Amino acid sequence: MWRPALELRKVSKSYREGDAERVVLHDVSVTLASGEIAVIVGRSGSGKSTLLNVIAGIDRPTTGTVVVDGTDLTALGEHARTRFRRRHIGFVFQFFNLIPLLTVEENLLLPLELNGRADVKGLARARELLERVGLGGRGASYPERLSGGEQQRVAIARALIHDPALILADEPTGNLDAETAAGVLDLLDGLAREGGRTVLMVTHSREVVGVADRIFSIQRGALMEQPAC
Amino acid sequence: MLNGQLARLAVRQLRTHPWQLGLAILGIALGVAVAVSIDLANASALRAFGLSTEAVSGRATHQILGGPSGVPDALYRRVRIELGVRRAAPVVEGDVSVADGHGRTLHVLGIDPFVDADFRPYLAGSERGAARGRESLARAEDLVGRAGTALLPASTAHELGVTLGGTLVVEAAGHRRTLTVVGMLSPADPASGRALESLLVTDVATAQETLGAVGRLTRIDLIVDDPAVLPRITAALPPDADLVSAGARAGATARMILAFQWNLAALSLLALVVGMFLIYQTMTFSVVQRRPLIGSLRALGVTRAEIFAVVMTEALVIGLVGTVAGLALGFGMAQGLLRLVTRTINDLYFVLSVREVALDPVTLGKSVLLGLGATALAALPPALEATTAPPRLVMTRAAHEQHARRGARRAGWLGLAVIAAGAGVLAAPGGIALGFGGLFVVMVGAALVTPAAALLLLRPIHRVAASVFGLLGRLATRSIAAALSRTSVAMAALMIAVASAIGVGVMIASFRDAVTRWLEGTLRADVYISAPSLVGSRPDATLDPQFVARLAATPGVAHASTSRGVLVQSGRGPVQVVALDVDPSRPPRWRFRSGNDAGVWTGEAVIVSEPYANRHDTRVGSAVRLRTDRGEQNFRVAGVFYDYGSSAGVVVMSRGAYEAAWDDRRISSLALEAAPGVDVTALIAAVRERAAGGPSLVIRSNRALRETSLEIFDRTFAITGVLRTLSVAVAFVGMLAALMALQLERTREIGVLRALGLTPRQVWALVTAQTGLIGLLAGVLAVPCGLTLAAVLVFVINRRSFGWTMSIDPSPAILLQGVALSVLAALLAGLYPAWRMATRSPAEALRDE
Repeated sequence: MWRPALELRKVSKSYREGDAERVVLHDVSVTLASGEIAVIVGRSGSGKSTLLNVIAGIDRPTTGTVVVDGTDLTALGEHARTRFRRRHIGFVFQFFNLIPLLTVEENLLLPLELNGRADVKGLARARELLERVGLGGRGASYPERLSGGEQQRVAIARALIHDPALILADEPTGNLDAETAAGVLDLLDGLAREGGRTVLMVTHSREVVGVADRIFSIQRGALMEQPAC
Repeated sequence: MLNGQLARLAVRQLRTHPWQLGLAILGIALGVAVAVSIDLANASALRAFGLSTEAVSGRATHQILGGPSGVPDALYRRVRIELGVRRAAPVVEGDVSVADGHGRTLHVLGIDPFVDADFRPYLAGSERGAARGRESLARAEDLVGRAGTALLPASTAHELGVTLGGTLVVEAAGHRRTLTVVGMLSPADPASGRALESLLVTDVATAQETLGAVGRLTRIDLIVDDPAVLPRITAALPPDADLVSAGARAGATARMILAFQWNLAALSLLALVVGMFLIYQTMTFSVVQRRPLIGSLRALGVTRAEIFAVVMTEALVIGLVGTVAGLALGFGMAQGLLRLVTRTINDLYFVLSVREVALDPVTLGKSVLLGLGATALAALPPALEATTAPPRLVMTRAAHEQHARRGARRAGWLGLAVIAAGAGVLAAPGGIALGFGGLFVVMVGAALVTPAAALLLLRPIHRVAASVFGLLGRLATRSIAAALSRTSVAMAALMIAVASAIGVGVMIASFRDAVTRWLEGTLRADVYISAPSLVGSRPDATLDPQFVARLAATPGVAHASTSRGVLVQSGRGPVQVVALDVDPSRPPRWRFRSGNDAGVWTGEAVIVSEPYANRHDTRVGSAVRLRTDRGEQNFRVAGVFYDYGSSAGVVVMSRGAYEAAWDDRRISSLALEAAPGVDVTALIAAVRERAAGGPSLVIRSNRALRETSLEIFDRTFAITGVLRTLSVAVAFVGMLAALMALQLERTREIGVLRALGLTPRQVWALVTAQTGLIGLLAGVLAVPCGLTLAAVLVFVINRRSFGWTMSIDPSPAILLQGVALSVLAALLAGLYPAWRMATRSPAEALRDE
């Protein structure tokens, strides 16, 4: 039976600001098939990152349902959502967010360790992925020794290492120059498609839109699908 | 002058981190509070001592003192009539306890109301302002005319529920006596009130009867305007009397408690030093957090001096608020500490009644300077560091931590040099102040070494943590090293506080052990009998020899011996002499530092206690010169024995030697040995039966006396325990502040870990493991530092302060308790920051990007 990788049903999110209520997401509904690469574009403050947080289970929607890989996250408690996230979701952040106190290799092993898979096979997988992202000899380096582009490549490897069903990327090229950004984007696109991963990126970069199967824009909290390029 | 915009910026910075601000204020407030409370308690005790001395000595310029039993009545008549010294007044003094007064003591001052006006005007009413003594003057006739009458300060009478014409039952040397209160002393101002507090004024005869000294005077007060008269008076005095200046005598007594007060002051300063760490830490956080901002300001044209002024002003504002809060808190704490200080002085030195804390402007001023000075000193390094931020350069956190690690290594080497310098100061001969100075330098050195030593210790811990807990274990240990600039100060402060707890704990335990062994060696009889005494460590009351002989003859007694303890004058101030009637064939088994008791029990020599030998530089073979009833005499010293009964020192001689030199036949205590097969409890019952109808006695078994002695010992160190706890409390606040700051800085990292799948419980465990490790490191490092502190306290401070030496007995339990205290303090301090980090929404944390 066909099962969507991600399904949002009438998801809304609002915050209280003093006496007023600010609506960030309004009745967002979307379905992504497994292996699809989708991009959400929107201006700063439009709610893109909030949507990613809600999908990851980091934040809870005010109303609506979020289903990832067949599991309704909105029905789970904090602990269960965290455990679900560590198994089924990979994250790529704009500012890379590698753990500065862990080496490159250790950063990669962290998701495996959280899933109880940091064994010899896991180590081999980490090293293989490092080779794939072009950082084969840098496993023992600390993140601060790496350039921005290199750090983002490690972050992409970290997001993929535990074979998550869904990869969420928040402005993955937002902090890189055009050339480096293009390289990073190619890498993410290649690795995701090769493994049949579903990827949802938020961005305001036109280059990112180029790799998307589906494009969405978010305006005043509403999500609208745009025709693909 | 601080630029308006910069000042606003500084205010906003302080407002942004209210907990950081609050904890810094709390730290300095606690530090100042401890210092000010001890200072106030000490000053109040000294002031009370001074006032009461002044009250009883009055305006006397000189005093004629006698031996243990004072001077005879006849001497007063001779001085006044034959020598023609008109301004002379007889005085009989002593302490009594109020029957059913819940331990309340009064100081009896027996005077001749008709000649006393010049000496104590507050009693005669001739001096306006000091006291309204008109009433007491009017009652002078009553004092002299009616036996058993007394004047009492109105406030004391009110406290005791005694009204004018009412009676007061007092007890001295086991005898009860009822006095009728015929007048109230009403001081005109609070100072006079404190001076007169606890004074019970009677005429000479009533005082003599009450204190059991009929026919004897404690002293004769003189007002001598012409110094030329002095040689004539001295020449006319009998051998057992001496003319001394009034100030010298009071000074010698005040000096007795000086070492004790020094020790308390030093311990109280410890809390302030720990508080200084906190200020340093707060200001360092504040500067590090603002480095980018400072860089931008510098780029905009703000000068180094202006940046320096901003940081120092912030620190001084914190210091001022903390100091003011500390003063209020300290005044409150002083009330409680005064009770402990007074109790110790009463246990060890002399009867002192202090009922309230005197608010001394000098103490308060000193505390403000201390608080602000400590703040300025602690804020100086971060303020200077702030000025070094180059324009627009934003030093990365990693670069900053690398800088901190290099700094830690440099500080480590510097610390070792400072410790060596401190050891040099301690090795040099000097007084207590120099001893504490050296100790302070060593402690500062140890604090400097702490970060580098912690980094060294972390290496093996890291390997173990990584193999047991995997990446999270590595993360926990690495984050401690990585956050060195934040955690090292808190760690050093905690280390110092715990080291003090260990050091003082080991010193007290070693001391207690030495006292226990000393008591075992000294107390060899089965039953000890004495009259009730008001000074814990010194029997100041006596027993009638005939009564003693009757008790010694109680059936079941195999052997009886007596002891007489008196204070006699010497060229170097009052000396405690103990005369024992020991059977030469069964001498006491005391431990000797040098020499022995050869010839002592046959009256040919004396032995001196170790404190006496240290204070007076006395060796075996030298002589002790004492003023006896036959004039000044030399006593050959045969040995120096270990003794923990008196910090002033004791000269021990045989009863025969004592009676040959002094006309005193009274007895302070009686020791009985039970015959074989006689039960000690039964013997005590038999003694009680024999003593029935006589004066009240304190009859204790060997075991009970040992327990009482150790109880006094424990009471003496109760205040030390309070001060140690306060220092650890300040360190705890420091740790809390450091961890809160760290929590703020790690928000994003924790957010990422949560996004990657770390549960709140795992985050909590991670942070708690880190704080526990910080506590463990501080605790482990506190062990060698604490042992060093104990060694310095035992071999330098105690020896210089009290003349006692002992061996160190570092019980593993105390060391483990210290480490556990450190871990516990860190874990408790980490609870709230860990909870905050664990429960912080990852979405919110990531939004901080």
